[in-house]
Amino acid sequence: MTAEYRAGGTDLMERRASGRSTGPLIDLYDRDLRSIDRTPDGGFRAGAMVTVDTLATDPALTTAYPALALTAGALATPQIRRAATLGGVLLQRTRCRYYRSEHYECLKTGGTGCPARGNPGERAVVLDVGPCVAPHPSSVALALLAYDADAEIEDQQPRKVADLYGDGARDHLLGDGELLTAIVLPPPAEGEKAGYKRAIGRASAEWPLAEAVARLTVGDGVVVRAGVAVGGVAAVPLRLPDVERALVGQPPSQELFARAARLGWTPAFPETAYKIPLTETLIADVLAQAL
Amino acid sequence: MRLTFNGSPREHDPAPDDTAAEVIRTAFGATGTKVSCGAGVCGACTILVDGEPKVSCLLPAAHLDGASVTTVEGVGGDHPVQRAFVECDALQCGFCTPGFVTEAVAFHDRWRKERDEPPSREEVAGALTGHLCRCGAYENILTAVQKACAGAFDDREPVPARVEAPDKVTGAARYTVDVVLDGMLHGAIVRSAQPHARVSFELPEPSVLLLDGGVVRYTGQPIAAVAAETPAAARALADSVRIAYEPLPSVVDPEEARRPDAPVVFEGDQRRNAPSSAEGSGFPGRWKGNVRSGYPSAWRGRTARRRLDAAEERKAPGYFAATFTTAGQSHTALEPHVTVADWRADGLTIHTSTQGLPHIKAAAAKRWSPPRVEVIAHHVGGGFGSKLSLGADAVAAVELSRKTGRPVKVEMSRAEELTDTGYRPGTRSELRMLGTPTGGLAAIALDVSGHGGVSTGSMVATLGLMMYGRGPRHFRDRDVIGNAPPASPFRGPGGPPFAWAVEQGVDEIAHRLGADPLKLRRTWDGNVRRRALYEIAGELPLWRDRPAPGQTGRYRRGVGAAAANWIYTADLDTKVELTVRDGRIVARTATQDIGTGVRTVIRNAVREVFPDAEIVVELGSADAPHGPVAGGSRSTASVGPAARDAATKLAGHLGGKPVGEAEGVSVLGQRPKDRGGSAVPVSMDHLRIGRGLAGAVHVTEVEVDTLLGRTRVVRVWGGIAVGTVFSRQTARNQCEGGIIQGIGYALYEERVTDPRTGVVLSANLEDYRLPGIADTPEMTIHFHEDGWDHVPGGGVGLGEVCTISVAASVANAVFNATGFRPLDLPIRPDRLLEGMAR
Repeated sequence: MTAEYRAGGTDLMERRASGRSTGPLIDLYDRDLRSIDRTPDGGFRAGAMVTVDTLATDPALTTAYPALALTAGALATPQIRRAATLGGVLLQRTRCRYYRSEHYECLKTGGTGCPARGNPGERAVVLDVGPCVAPHPSSVALALLAYDADAEIEDQQPRKVADLYGDGARDHLLGDGELLTAIVLPPPAEGEKAGYKRAIGRASAEWPLAEAVARLTVGDGVVVRAGVAVGGVAAVPLRLPDVERALVGQPPSQELFARAARLGWTPAFPETAYKIPLTETLIADVLAQAL
Repeated sequence: MRLTFNGSPREHDPAPDDTAAEVIRTAFGATGTKVSCGAGVCGACTILVDGEPKVSCLLPAAHLDGASVTTVEGVGGDHPVQRAFVECDALQCGFCTPGFVTEAVAFHDRWRKERDEPPSREEVAGALTGHLCRCGAYENILTAVQKACAGAFDDREPVPARVEAPDKVTGAARYTVDVVLDGMLHGAIVRSAQPHARVSFELPEPSVLLLDGGVVRYTGQPIAAVAAETPAAARALADSVRIAYEPLPSVVDPEEARRPDAPVVFEGDQRRNAPSSAEGSGFPGRWKGNVRSGYPSAWRGRTARRRLDAAEERKAPGYFAATFTTAGQSHTALEPHVTVADWRADGLTIHTSTQGLPHIKAAAAKRWSPPRVEVIAHHVGGGFGSKLSLGADAVAAVELSRKTGRPVKVEMSRAEELTDTGYRPGTRSELRMLGTPTGGLAAIALDVSGHGGVSTGSMVATLGLMMYGRGPRHFRDRDVIGNAPPASPFRGPGGPPFAWAVEQGVDEIAHRLGADPLKLRRTWDGNVRRRALYEIAGELPLWRDRPAPGQTGRYRRGVGAAAANWIYTADLDTKVELTVRDGRIVARTATQDIGTGVRTVIRNAVREVFPDAEIVVELGSADAPHGPVAGGSRSTASVGPAARDAATKLAGHLGGKPVGEAEGVSVLGQRPKDRGGSAVPVSMDHLRIGRGLAGAVHVTEVEVDTLLGRTRVVRVWGGIAVGTVFSRQTARNQCEGGIIQGIGYALYEERVTDPRTGVVLSANLEDYRLPGIADTPEMTIHFHEDGWDHVPGGGVGLGEVCTISVAASVANAVFNATGFRPLDLPIRPDRLLEGMAR
């Protein structure tokens, strides 16, 4: 049985307890993966063991990448953010209630079918891009997509963060023994502002029904650069280039944001049709926040 | 690994899968750190790692190498945060308290290093958002942390709001999960993986059989229990049992189960063996397939139905009919069901997390007939109705101990807890009401199906006999049986779903008639205590300034009201013993404090007679003189007057001498009878139903984000009519907790069972969402203290009445804000958005 890497343990230890992870462990605790460095082009390189809390609070990172900081600061709880790591939250496994229950086999546990498909519920995906109907759980991935960040894999060429994810059949595409060591962010955009929001029932500490992140740079009265990504809607983290294109070159306004946020999606399940206007609202909200 | 643990060097060699919490509790023996959800959600296990709070249930023990670890025991006992928790009553059952304290200490210390002004409520809530308190003591927690940060406890000892608070803030309070006996084995339960099947199996040794007969009727049903040296070994042994299933047709979903062609869960004589979720015997009924129908409870029932039919026909403005549903609600006490049993030749000792010490003692004596039974529960981490009887944990522990000759501990995992320790049944209620603006409630009919899995005993509609005067009425309760785990009593059984339907019905009729909903209730309701509450509530600015219907805009505010009542019960056999020992007065009775403040009620009653004496309250042992079960809101009205009676007797005995000169004197106080007798002249299992109904009115303000579908409860006024309050601070705390639980019921909590396999999908605290500290509204509790002069002490219990009407008041507030009438509970964002779009 192949070994599994253990970073902060916030996802893995729960899967150990439920029997979803049973093989040997390789602890990354002692590996030197916690540094945050400037790159030659002025960007940043953050080690895979940097904590989510650090992403949310490190002065240099929060100034340079406000969308990442807002996203990291809004997920889970303070205790989880202090333990969970950058690498871990990108490669965490699905929160699907069937996957998390010891009573089922599914496509992600070596089974042949998806028990959730017959009973998707209101938390399922809107876009049926893959065989799995549970949304991808990583919020931080959304922010990194919006920043077009790179992922460094041990003994391999770097790849785009987007390429860590596939068609929804797997939670990530790294194979056995492949180790994500760092995330490399491009140079920060001068004057960038950001927004992040999740739709939840309670005030905090809840997996989102849907979430959106935006980074926005405005110059000479028009949107110069925009990055928008949404979660809770597909089995992969989703960047929205169409929304970004609708923004760039236009004078920012609530009307523009509402227009740009229109998704034109068709819901995969009647139970999640509500998520389309919900996501559109979130996009408009985070754009307004980023203005 | 080497680490510094609470200031001392420690070495330990953890296994790769060991969590920090396991090592701290087991290897280091520091049991102040609690494990509750096991998934990093509830924060009960929070420890400081190099000063940073982290959840130790997910933290690999190996990661502590080289670290400095501080647990609640290492905080000491005099930290300003601990002092503030003690004086501000920032806890109830106390099981979550070590986690809250540890996190708050780190927050406090950092805050005061960096800032001069105290933090806001929002800042405190943000810092503590990774902690859950099922009792709902959030308001006092917020206040305590703010006060500690303001320096209010830097240089003075606190005045404890409840007797046992100092033990609960230091981790010294020992719960059943903390009990470790020499030579103790651990048990694990073998459960059914199928919803309905004939099973056959061979059990390893040591094991005991739990299944009666060879048929399982729900996924998760206990079949047997096994024991081994460690919890992990016991689990592995249980998992190794191969069960051969011969599947039988099954039906899980109540809507399918009620159909005439549905597979039948219980046939013929088997029906008698169906478990009951009722307190007591439940109601008689007639079976048809999976539907068990009670006999109608009616008062001029035919008139009621005739009037309703006519009103429907002529579309009368005061006529309203709708189908309401509620989801099952899981108790989710943060201390799981857990028992340590020690069977010896001379008797049986049971340490168990229970709210029914006397019940457990009697049941154990009857079931196993040991030479002697002792039942111990010094501290109990919440119950809410789920810990009233002998559960699978207790049966398994006792029988395994008898078999092995060693003490055995059986502790439910959170998944087991959320699957098979009971829940408030889900319901479907058909409501028809006809109201008139001045003439009262002209007619009401309510037909409620309870969805309690394999259990019978849902009683919702029948509660209508107690509400809104004597107009014609027709009520019927039914159970729709399915292949799902059994329900159990839950804080005010039947009350919240009753209010969900009827109190929304009253609100809707008021709306249709253009009447003030509180004034309409006052017209309809003959109960003097509740009428007083309507008048006070009606004068609140919160109510008077409520928004007019027809708001537009994204964020809308709304105010809603709802009322509740509940029977008054007491255990008239309650005795409190007072003994002068070492110059102190020691009070004893065989009851337990599940977080309601019973110790404090007793202390206060004795203190009224002996204001200067040192008073010790010893609860949690069934060997003491008879005391009440913590159920049916009976504890306070039982122990308070009995303690007062004992104190009066002791004072008479002393004849003016100081307590110190009466060493060894012991008196027994008895709960005096009510003046004018009881409503029912006999007690059933020590429970006496008294005269009069406790009342409550809740007025709730919400803010609705109509685009994201989120409902935020902003303010709640709770008027509680239970007469004299015996312990004001703990009573207010409990009423606030009742509001928090009601908010959870209205908005977040939802038991979800897979309709095909019967697996409970909401078996963890991420999918079963409890209200968090940041969801705490501003709360005002008003005690209306008149009207209970016939009861000794002048007051009755409030644990149930204080939560019943909350969810309905939230729904009425949502209607006021949006015009959307939430028929289905909980009011999830998707339901609200879809409802508003219709």
